[in-house]
Amino acid sequence: MCCPGCQAVAEAIVAGGLEHYYKHRSESASNPQDLPQALPDELQLFDRAEVQEPFVQHQGETSETWLLIEGINCAACGWLIEKHLRALPGVNDARLNLSNHRLNVSWIDSQVALSQLLTELRKIGYAGHPWQADEAAQKLATENRRAMRQLGLAGLLWFQVMMATMATWPEFNIDLSPELHMILRWVSLFLTTPIIFYCCGQFFRGALRDLRTRHLTMDLSVSLAIGGAYVAGIWSAITGTGELYFDAVGMFAFFLLAGRYLERRARERTAAATAQLVNLLPASCLRLNEQGQTQRILLSELRLGEQVLVQPGALMPADGCILSGQSSVDESVLTGEYLPQPRVEGDQVTAGTLNVEGPLVVEVQALGDATRLSAIVRLLERAQTDKPRLAELADQVSQWFLLFLLLAATVVGVIWWQIDPSRAFWVVLALLVATCPCALALATPTALTAATGTLHSLGVLLTRGHVLEGLNQIDTVIFDKTGTLTEGKLTLSAIHPLGALDSDACLALAAALENRSEHPIAKAFGRATQAADQVDSFPGQGLHGTIEGRQLRIGQAAFVCALSGKLAPAIPGESGQWLLLGDQQGPLAWFVLDDRLRADALELITSCKARGWHVLLLSGDSSPVVAQIARQLGIEDARGGLTPDDKLAALKVLHQQGRRVLMLGDGVNDVPVLAGADISVAMGSATDLAKTSADAVLLSNRLGSLVDAFKLARRTRRIIIENLIWAALYNSLVLPFAALGLITPLWAAVGMSISSLLVVLNALRLARH
Amino acid sequence: MPALYILIPIALILVAIAIWVFFWAVDSGQYDDLDGPAHSILFDDEDPMHKAGVDEAQTPASKDQSDA
Repeated sequence: MCCPGCQAVAEAIVAGGLEHYYKHRSESASNPQDLPQALPDELQLFDRAEVQEPFVQHQGETSETWLLIEGINCAACGWLIEKHLRALPGVNDARLNLSNHRLNVSWIDSQVALSQLLTELRKIGYAGHPWQADEAAQKLATENRRAMRQLGLAGLLWFQVMMATMATWPEFNIDLSPELHMILRWVSLFLTTPIIFYCCGQFFRGALRDLRTRHLTMDLSVSLAIGGAYVAGIWSAITGTGELYFDAVGMFAFFLLAGRYLERRARERTAAATAQLVNLLPASCLRLNEQGQTQRILLSELRLGEQVLVQPGALMPADGCILSGQSSVDESVLTGEYLPQPRVEGDQVTAGTLNVEGPLVVEVQALGDATRLSAIVRLLERAQTDKPRLAELADQVSQWFLLFLLLAATVVGVIWWQIDPSRAFWVVLALLVATCPCALALATPTALTAATGTLHSLGVLLTRGHVLEGLNQIDTVIFDKTGTLTEGKLTLSAIHPLGALDSDACLALAAALENRSEHPIAKAFGRATQAADQVDSFPGQGLHGTIEGRQLRIGQAAFVCALSGKLAPAIPGESGQWLLLGDQQGPLAWFVLDDRLRADALELITSCKARGWHVLLLSGDSSPVVAQIARQLGIEDARGGLTPDDKLAALKVLHQQGRRVLMLGDGVNDVPVLAGADISVAMGSATDLAKTSADAVLLSNRLGSLVDAFKLARRTRRIIIENLIWAALYNSLVLPFAALGLITPLWAAVGMSISSLLVVLNALRLARH
Repeated sequence: MPALYILIPIALILVAIAIWVFFWAVDSGQYDDLDGPAHSILFDDEDPMHKAGVDEAQTPASKDQSDA
């Protein structure tokens, strides 16, 4: 157990008899302390009728709602949540969708309250948020279902059509009577019609759109083949002469829809789950009334000019001015400054930043859209519209292919018209069907799907489709510092003993004191072996406590030395946060806390440079640490003290130079650049806003995974090219035979299946690593 | 092949039923989560109800063997 949070979770799980969770989980759980802190009284707010109204459905005694669950890592989590909730009295049902992390729960109002369910979830280490289907999510769900229906219908009908059509082929030599021949033609026509009108609509619409924009794409050639084969089939059913290509129609529809469905699923897997969680602001806050009493209210109830009490460890609910209290505020998500900034009466605070030390009374000056945070979000929207599009390989290839194909079809048609006008149509049709770029259309989606799955298991989640192909066109990389190249939290980097005690003894004493504190700095000291008594916290100064009868202080030098009455020693170093430990005799040791470089940062930078990429470090931090880290990692171009606007301007300059930019970042201040870069990657520990505006998320937080992703992107490109070459080769090989009129429906079907299968198998090689 | 005159309509009816069932399954959300159910059977092994069922199924079988 690493912390009391994990221990509490484990105890709750074992007490519920749910220890099988540990047997089957495939990923270790996230640390419960990383989840957003919610106070019991904040959860109580969810029991109020007007709060529940938008997202809870009542039906007599029972209520039902959807919750979005944070902290799910693998299938075992889903089982744990369902079992734990179902075991509660009053809960009718709990069902978790592992793909999008949504929990559907229904309960009886009189026996259990929603806040109790949320508390129980939290006890086993998950955070539940009320979830409402917005328009986009609803549209996505309907589209997913429609895609599934189209795929299933195409598959089911294709098998039947194939049987009916194949029976009419002379190669199988079934002695059909003319009436049965006729009946089978009509049956296949009857079965193919739903495929055309229900499943293939998207191809025809795509082709129409492309014709209007005078742009040749795969949709056009697919539509030509499918439409041609269908119309010819009607003709042949009516007249009883000519070839039947209905099975080819079914095969195209099924293969192409399957390719698109796979691609859609790979892309939307967890993107939908992260997209919902843009909660940079707290859900509720403590309002002070005239008598100085606090009342917990929803953020939407807060008005300008009101006073709020912000407890240490809570987020600022609005922009405002400090009326009383002193504390330090962690603004790293907004500015990239890695140390909490001291704030006293009269100072301005910004919504979304974290109050670290003491309680603050803040007068609300800006809310909602007027806050600085919202200004950054608007910057993000502007950057998104300027985002350049990376050209896709398959698009370029298919244009040339299609042009060539249409030319060939015209020439062949004209020549056959001269030789034998009655056969001209059938030869051109056979040519169109046999060369239909089925394999060409599958080449890219299958490769991308396989590679996306592999990346997911490496801890890189792709949320947009162009990343894998685009990675090969990148020539510049921008890194953020705090939280990206560094870990973004304070860790103990050095101990300088001053008196009789050595470093280990001093650390033990400091840890004993700090373990009694909620301050984020306290975590850096690790677990204590000794226990401290009567520990008092002095905001902005430090801690005072007793260990084995010995009075000790840790914190600011002046505060610590006041205990012994000696003169405070000067801070000997430059960067980082310096804390002094002392007792009644005098100072004992200096502790240096600093933000540490990630272990694999150097590997990533080296690998980027080995690819000949231009590497930049853009940070909002104005301290000398930026230059120091750049030196350590060998980055020549490092700039500090940048605002989000400055970062975006830097990106624009790079774009004007014609560079293709990859951005890796995590904070809200990186968000506009993430949105505007050709490819953007957000850290898994990043703010939700950063994750949703990025094209990929580094779930594992291991920079080394990114190096693997670069390698995989290269391999993916190679496989796509191989696939395209194979598809083009097959199509050009079959072309002469089709032109000579030697291709019958049987050979068209055999050729297409083999080439499609080959492409898919080749793409599956990417699933191995 | 007069049998085909009956078999073809039967095939068409069966396909129609299959499609209807499939559409119903999709619309009732059975295909919304394709990841979760794959794992859920692992946990059923330890379900006390399932274990009791397995024990019950095995007892008469072992008795039969001892009789033989």
